[in-house]
Amino acid sequence: MNGPKIMFEIPIFGGIPVTETVTNTWIIMAFIVVLCIWLTHGMKKVPSGKQVIAEKIVGMLYNMVESTMGKGYISFAPYIGALFTLSMLGSLSSLLGMRPLTADLSTTLGWALMTFVMVQANNIRCNGVKGWLKGFVEPVPFLLPINIVGEIANPISMSFRHFGNIAAGMVITSLMYGALASLSAVLLQWIPNAFISSIPIFQLGIPAVLSIYFDLFTSFLQAYIICMLTMVFVSSAGSEEAARGE
Amino acid sequence: MEINLETLTVGAELEGYEGETYTEVREPADEPRFLDFVTIDVWTLIFTWGNLLILFLLMKKFLFKPVRKMMLDRENEVKEMYSDAEKSKNDADALKADYESRLSSAKQEAEEIVKNATRSATLKSEEIIADAQKNAAGIIARADKQIEAEKRNAENELKNEMSDLALSIASKVIEKEIDEDKHKELIDSFIEKMGEV
Repeated sequence: MNGPKIMFEIPIFGGIPVTETVTNTWIIMAFIVVLCIWLTHGMKKVPSGKQVIAEKIVGMLYNMVESTMGKGYISFAPYIGALFTLSMLGSLSSLLGMRPLTADLSTTLGWALMTFVMVQANNIRCNGVKGWLKGFVEPVPFLLPINIVGEIANPISMSFRHFGNIAAGMVITSLMYGALASLSAVLLQWIPNAFISSIPIFQLGIPAVLSIYFDLFTSFLQAYIICMLTMVFVSSAGSEEAARGE
Repeated sequence: MEINLETLTVGAELEGYEGETYTEVREPADEPRFLDFVTIDVWTLIFTWGNLLILFLLMKKFLFKPVRKMMLDRENEVKEMYSDAEKSKNDADALKADYESRLSSAKQEAEEIVKNATRSATLKSEEIIADAQKNAAGIIARADKQIEAEKRNAENELKNEMSDLALSIASKVIEKEIDEDKHKELIDSFIEKMGEV
């Protein structure tokens, strides 16, 4: 199984490789932005049709951020929304035969590092540099290395969890396709016509059952998990009062 | 997996080698190049950050801001409508209370006026009746007096006439002048007696 294909190189800095992951991200981003513009086009005071959907989505997201992080962090909602949409559609893109963005460790690690930076920044903002550094030697100074490892482990576990789920789904799906193709070849070899016996008939329909779990369910679940963890980590790094005082 | 990658790398080197030694059989760009399956590519990482930030800003501009604004606007409008309704209800209540108090005071006033009017009318009518009675009594008294006077006049006249008549009759009978005064006295006493009868 290969990693993401390098689509082209930008000829600066000795060639910046642009992988399939990045181009797929652009396609998905374009789709999301067009969807957003379409949803909010021609909004009226009295909502109808697509505006109801847009308001439902936005309202749900704001509620989720408010109940998880508190009122002081309400400005995080658009970021969480962007992360959730990109993660979910990025994983679901495998249904259209695109390579999912989240089956690339660089993507999920990027998101996890973003969360890591936000956690540290929020900690410093709420507790000051001294308070932030002091947090590493609490409750006893002896725990300093463990605290540091704990902080660093967060982005690693977050990124590998997301990457692992989607990538494993991709691997299992392709293994399944391979296995089903061999099965068809074995079972259909009695047919004299070479063309008909080469049709991998078992590939039809059966992978869709697995796809419900590995594509639909996992995509949604992992997007939800990475957003939840981001919200919980960031909000628990600082007090809500300090965030509201901003 | 790692074995796979190694073979890929070795293959690529071999191709490059072949390309250099022999004629260029095919362009190197035709060969699709792949990253490792589990890899951290710094450029992809940077692109990921950039893409996420751009998507965040675009979604904020095109979805969250307008929808949020619309929802808050509507919320405020509903709140405003409720407070307006509350206010106008309070106003109406105050007006109603005002009108009711005014109405009751007006009623009281009207009753007062009617009572006063009735009382003054009663007084006046009593006065008028008393006046009228007094007047009537006066008139009756006057009339009585007049009647009395008339009666007396009539009596006197009658007396005079009778005495004159008697005198003339007597003078005619006796055809002779008699002492008028003496006779008159006589006749008067006679008439007096007649009157008593």
